Amino acid sequence: MGKKERSMTWRLWAVVVAIGLGGLVITGRLVQLQLLDHGKYADQARLTHMTEETLIDRRGALLDRNGYPLAASEDTFDVLVEHRIWKNPNVAARSSQQLEGIVGIAAEDLVQAVVDTDIFEVAVARDLDFDTATAVRDLGLRGVRLVTSSHRVYPEGNIAPQLLGFVGRDNVGLTGLEADLDSILSGAKGTVREERDGLGNRFALGERDETAPLPGANVVLTIDRYIQLLAEQELAGTIKEHKATGGTIIVVQPKTGEILAMASQPTFDVTKLDLSDDSKIALYRNRAITDQYEPGSVFKLITTAAGIDSGTVGPNTWWEDTGALHIGPWTIRNWDQSVNGSQTVQQMLSKSLNTGAAWVAQQVGPEKFYEYIQRFGFGEPSGVGLTGDAPGRVRTPDNDPENWRPVDMATNSFGQGISVTPVQMIMAVAAIANGGVAMRPHLVKEVVYPTGSQTVQLEQTRQVISPTAAQTLREMMGVVSDGVSKTYLNVKGYRVGGKSGTADLVTADSGYKKDAYISSFVGIAPLEDPQLVVLVKIDEPKNLPWGTVVAAPAFGRLVERALAYLEVPPQGDALVTAP
Amino acid sequence: MATARKSDSTLAGVATGSTLPVILTLAAMIVGLTAMLPLVQSSGATSTAGNIQRLHTEKSALQAKLRELETDVATLGSLSRIQQEAKTRLEMEQPKSVNYIAVDVAPPADRRLPSRFLPPQRESAPADNDASFWEELFGWLP
Repeated sequence: MGKKERSMTWRLWAVVVAIGLGGLVITGRLVQLQLLDHGKYADQARLTHMTEETLIDRRGALLDRNGYPLAASEDTFDVLVEHRIWKNPNVAARSSQQLEGIVGIAAEDLVQAVVDTDIFEVAVARDLDFDTATAVRDLGLRGVRLVTSSHRVYPEGNIAPQLLGFVGRDNVGLTGLEADLDSILSGAKGTVREERDGLGNRFALGERDETAPLPGANVVLTIDRYIQLLAEQELAGTIKEHKATGGTIIVVQPKTGEILAMASQPTFDVTKLDLSDDSKIALYRNRAITDQYEPGSVFKLITTAAGIDSGTVGPNTWWEDTGALHIGPWTIRNWDQSVNGSQTVQQMLSKSLNTGAAWVAQQVGPEKFYEYIQRFGFGEPSGVGLTGDAPGRVRTPDNDPENWRPVDMATNSFGQGISVTPVQMIMAVAAIANGGVAMRPHLVKEVVYPTGSQTVQLEQTRQVISPTAAQTLREMMGVVSDGVSKTYLNVKGYRVGGKSGTADLVTADSGYKKDAYISSFVGIAPLEDPQLVVLVKIDEPKNLPWGTVVAAPAFGRLVERALAYLEVPPQGDALVTAP
Repeated sequence: MATARKSDSTLAGVATGSTLPVILTLAAMIVGLTAMLPLVQSSGATSTAGNIQRLHTEKSALQAKLRELETDVATLGSLSRIQQEAKTRLEMEQPKSVNYIAVDVAPPADRRLPSRFLPPQRESAPADNDASFWEELFGWLP
């Protein structure tokens, strides 16, 4: 009995020792895994479990000067389907049939889109609105989830598309202000790092580290939606009437340099964007700042300004127009081949005499003449703050001594042989309207951040000509406008000043296109206290080329409605005093 | 002897008769409750996390709806739509002639940016008149 008990005790101890040793081994391994190598395995687990996602908040809106949104973002929803779940044909068929009626995509196409790929999730429908997305969510389909996306909308419709530009699917600005102001509009991206299981489900109590994104700032533009619409309607109407190939209208407030409207054609529809069509790329550029052209007789304003401000000539200074001005082997003639005899500088401007402009330039001299051209802002980017702001081309004795010839100054004086952009041209005339002070053109009035706002300060570029010379120029422009037939320029209630231009169209090889012209008119309104400067430029009108006939009527109509809209009181008989 | 036996049997009776099951039951309950505690905590936290997630989703959905409605308002107020409505539904036309009447009233105030595009107004902190001498000293710190 005693022997049997000893045997049992020994076996019992053996089992206890075996279990104890086993326990020690397991405990030791656990200590190694959970204490000694904890950091290593925790890092490995975190690498497997942690996912990082970029968070983007709402992109800022582009607003007109009165706060009306021209481009804004609204949330949309993309439908994602988990490939693994839809590998089951029954689930795929049932779910796709339920989705079909809501997202408007055939069930077979939905299934095909998912099963044809090996990626974890497939987007089967994009940019759903809130109600449609809610309907999808309410279905509660397994393996189907919604992710919030964003979609740019244009509440005013297709307004100023080249100026506003557009964004890509990733919400990054691609052209226009959307691209130039992208860093302001897009805000700051955030991130969320969180633990998920092997199926991508979030751990309820897992580690989570979120840096919230910041919404983009809203940008208040100087553009006025009503004046922009007027400009676009006038431009479209004029192009249609004269069967032109394109054109530009810009409206500027001379005292501030604020651009109220900037319209160009040919254009595109930003609300129906098709980026796959490469042939439309040329339509995306903002022609008002990128395209250079020979301004023609409009440039006589600059020549006259140089003559008057330098004290070389006055409005009543006369010279003898023999119909031809000989400069070396070249002869300058008037546009209508006319011979006018004794003419004043005012008559030169009113009749748009090339010989007179060339004579004024000769009196000023090349050094001063090109100095004035530079002071008016030609030959350098306008500083409007948009990508593609072209400098134009001005050949002077200084920057191109080998090729510059005296006849160049003569042709430059009436706007030939010199390239400018529409925005340069209008800002030069705006300086005349603003007492000789050139303002920096700008399109952004205010940036409204979530925490505060920043107002853009007005910036005087330089005093181009004296206030007296500017006043004289304005009066001369008034005389020019008064001489235009009422058929073409009749702004009821306001006196305006302006100058027309008709220029040959330069080709890519620096030649001139046969029978192709650019008709333009630039004017100030009202003349007594300029509130608006408007440039109308029409490319290749087919019936008549003259700026007075083609562009001046659009200027008149636009100015009349814009001044009434801006509550600028008219003068004279148009204003009736209430009893 | 008899007393001692009785005493043993009484102790054994206490341990094995009525007390032991009670102790074991209590112990089991304590162990069970202790085990339940983290489960309840975990369950509560999971439920709260779920609620937070649901509220986040709800908030996002309401924000999306709000933005959609804002866009609808802007679209309804667009010039092209107003012009279209005026021409087609109300059969309005551009005036043939315009009369300007001067009236002796103050001009309208400048139009302001709609409040939804302005940064939120911050309430200024009320002046703390009861601040102690030591608290006021902190104000001198750079």
